[in-house]
Amino acid sequence: MYEAVYAHPDGNSTVARHALTAADSDYNGIVVRNHGNEPAEYDADAISDAYDIDVAAGVEVRADDPSRASGFVGNYRSDRTVVVVHGGDRRINRFAVEQPTVDVLAHPMREDGDFNHVLANAAADNGVRVEFDFGPVLRSSGGSRVRAIKELRKLRELVADAGAPFVVSASPSTHLQIRAPRDIIAVGETIGFDADTVREGLTEWGRVVERNRERQSDAVIEPGVRLERDADDIE
Amino acid sequence: MKHLPKHLRPRWRYLAVGIETWPNASFGRRAFQREVWYAAQNLLGDTGSAETDMTVLQFHDYDGTAEAIVRTRRGQMGPARAALTCLDSVDDAEVRVRVRGISGTVRACEEKYIRGPPESTEQRHVVFENADRSATVRPPRYDVETASGGAFVGATALDFR
Repeated sequence: MYEAVYAHPDGNSTVARHALTAADSDYNGIVVRNHGNEPAEYDADAISDAYDIDVAAGVEVRADDPSRASGFVGNYRSDRTVVVVHGGDRRINRFAVEQPTVDVLAHPMREDGDFNHVLANAAADNGVRVEFDFGPVLRSSGGSRVRAIKELRKLRELVADAGAPFVVSASPSTHLQIRAPRDIIAVGETIGFDADTVREGLTEWGRVVERNRERQSDAVIEPGVRLERDADDIE
Repeated sequence: MKHLPKHLRPRWRYLAVGIETWPNASFGRRAFQREVWYAAQNLLGDTGSAETDMTVLQFHDYDGTAEAIVRTRRGQMGPARAALTCLDSVDDAEVRVRVRGISGTVRACEEKYIRGPPESTEQRHVVFENADRSATVRPPRYDVETASGGAFVGATALDFR
């Protein structure tokens, strides 16, 4: 299971500290999803070796309008393993679910964002994962938490109906906001998710990472064309 | 009052809880207990809170980390775990709470999950982002003070090589 984190300078803990804490919380990996304008500097291999946890390079594209977002997605696609779009705006949400090159649409319900069956079907068709952001459930209270739980329910029903792929994250921006998978599952069950759904959502990040690494490896020339080992080598 | 017969006594489960916070935070059992009640009431409501009936039995404070044993009723471990997970600050100090495990007796809980005091912390001067900073260190964890007001950045030994 993976967690997708915002590291310093986009958050208050370095990638290494996030990784150490996530490893301590029984995660198999983290995705560094700093916003494009606040990139973190880190040595993924060294961290991964030291704390025995996978560290995947990601980015969260934040733009005011779809055409700029599209440009950013194109720029980052070739050198980042996971490309996330910062949702929460109706036009950006629509753009993200219609782009097969986008891996994850993050927090689509935040601020004045909304989601509907048309977007859910588009996400299913294009294989864009919709994020269930547990952050506000874990860290806010009162009216804003009630709203967040209500919106998660709406999103869950739409995503389940359309069969769209999804991910789950507590969106931590410091290592203190990381919660163990079992604990997140318990919260999910309290607000109406199945334990399996939440587990699936946490695992899905890992699948994205694995699939994209394979696609970006030298063996893949273009979709559907891959280099196999020479017949001579096999003999 | 006379003890209840054994089959009528409540059955308890004991949750071992690990707590991590920034080095300038300091709170005790009472503050933690209060936040546990608030967290349960906010997430589960009055009925759910009464159902889980969480009490902090032990609280060990180790300067930046702590561990506790929280008692809850048998069959309420899921909601209790969820409420503890939503506990994000104690006395305005940000905390990370993690349920390490659940046992049927206090002693089993202590033996299995309560680790005792970690290494003590030390103050060091470090260079972080080209500036001299003071850091509270408990290897491999470094909490770097980036502003005098107590703003910290969490780092590890790997960030200072």
